Amino acid sequence: MSNNQQIFEDWLDGKITAEQCAMQLQHDPQWYARLQNTLALQADAKAPRFEPVPEFDSSALFAKQWQRPKLQRSWWPQLSLALSCAAMLISLSPAKFQLQDGSLTLSWHNSQSEINRAVGTALLAYQKEQQQWLVQQLDTQQQSTNSQLVLLKDYLQDELKRDQRSDMLQLVEYLNQQRQADWQYWQENYQPMQAGYRPASSYYSPTNTGVVKP
Amino acid sequence: MFKRSDESLIAKALNGDQHAWQQLVNRHQSALFYFGLRLLGSREDANDLLQDVLLVLCRNLGQYRGDSSFKSWLFGIANYRAMDMLRRRKYSDNDDELAEMPADAPGMPEQLANDRQQKQVQQQLRSLPLEQRLVLELKFYQQFTFDEIASQLAISSNTVKSRFYAALDKLRLQLEDDHVEQSANF
Repeated sequence: MSNNQQIFEDWLDGKITAEQCAMQLQHDPQWYARLQNTLALQADAKAPRFEPVPEFDSSALFAKQWQRPKLQRSWWPQLSLALSCAAMLISLSPAKFQLQDGSLTLSWHNSQSEINRAVGTALLAYQKEQQQWLVQQLDTQQQSTNSQLVLLKDYLQDELKRDQRSDMLQLVEYLNQQRQADWQYWQENYQPMQAGYRPASSYYSPTNTGVVKP
Repeated sequence: MFKRSDESLIAKALNGDQHAWQQLVNRHQSALFYFGLRLLGSREDANDLLQDVLLVLCRNLGQYRGDSSFKSWLFGIANYRAMDMLRRRKYSDNDDELAEMPADAPGMPEQLANDRQQKQVQQQLRSLPLEQRLVLELKFYQQFTFDEIASQLAISSNTVKSRFYAALDKLRLQLEDDHVEQSANF
């Protein structure tokens, strides 16, 4: 490579300016002419082009070569799976979401002790409920027994009174019958005998209205 | 605004991101079209080359390994396709095609002067052999290094330089001729 060629290529590579190159090559007509021609070509290359570039729609070409129909992808199955996994994790983990008084709180708890405590509370409540029920039943039973006893007492008293009255009536009737029988026996057996011993006027004479004194 | 690298756009496009693909195409299609326009000489051929390169790019996007820059890799494809098109169509230097190129934006005197200068440079470039023209195109218009050009064309860096200086020398001779003609006209 000659020195001039080196100078020329240094200029082409941008290492020196066109003026520096021209100054160094001006004594060699061949290389100086090459420089001038190159400058003319560079000027032409930098000149704006007004030739309109034709419209060419390469979209169809590209679509045919590289575009594939988009997969009809639905996100619902993935969303459903993700929510199911989240629900499972929440239910299995000790984390506990609680919505109370308009605020959502996240708490961690021991599920076994929580269950034991809940079971104990439920059993205690059941025990109390059963005791109250038994007390109520006993009260009801007692009241029922008392009322039945009162009714029985009244019934027995009534029955006793009725029996006593009946006995008294029977007794009175019996006594009346005895007196009637005694009176008849006396009239039949002792009155004629008495009449024989004493004047009739000296004896009391029983009548239907009473006893007539002598 | 944050500009994504070509590599990240490719990665997104490979995952089916059409927006990334469109960004990648928008970033490079102008360079590819003007490359084709200068090299092939007509809008139709340049458009065909652009579509052809984008088709190949789309099919082979997954094969980009990042060993070189994406632009270098892309122009490797473009070079191959352009050379293929030129060989198949037996491209001949026909100034009529270049003359058919529209005069672009009207009005501005500076722009008209630029257009005239551009046409002159393009005409001189088109008179060069294809391999030499390709080297100048890649070196000056696409800003590739000699090593990148060598890699794209699958030749040695010295061969690239040889073609480069040969092209500059031919261009020099023609420019001198133009100057002579212009002087004679005066």
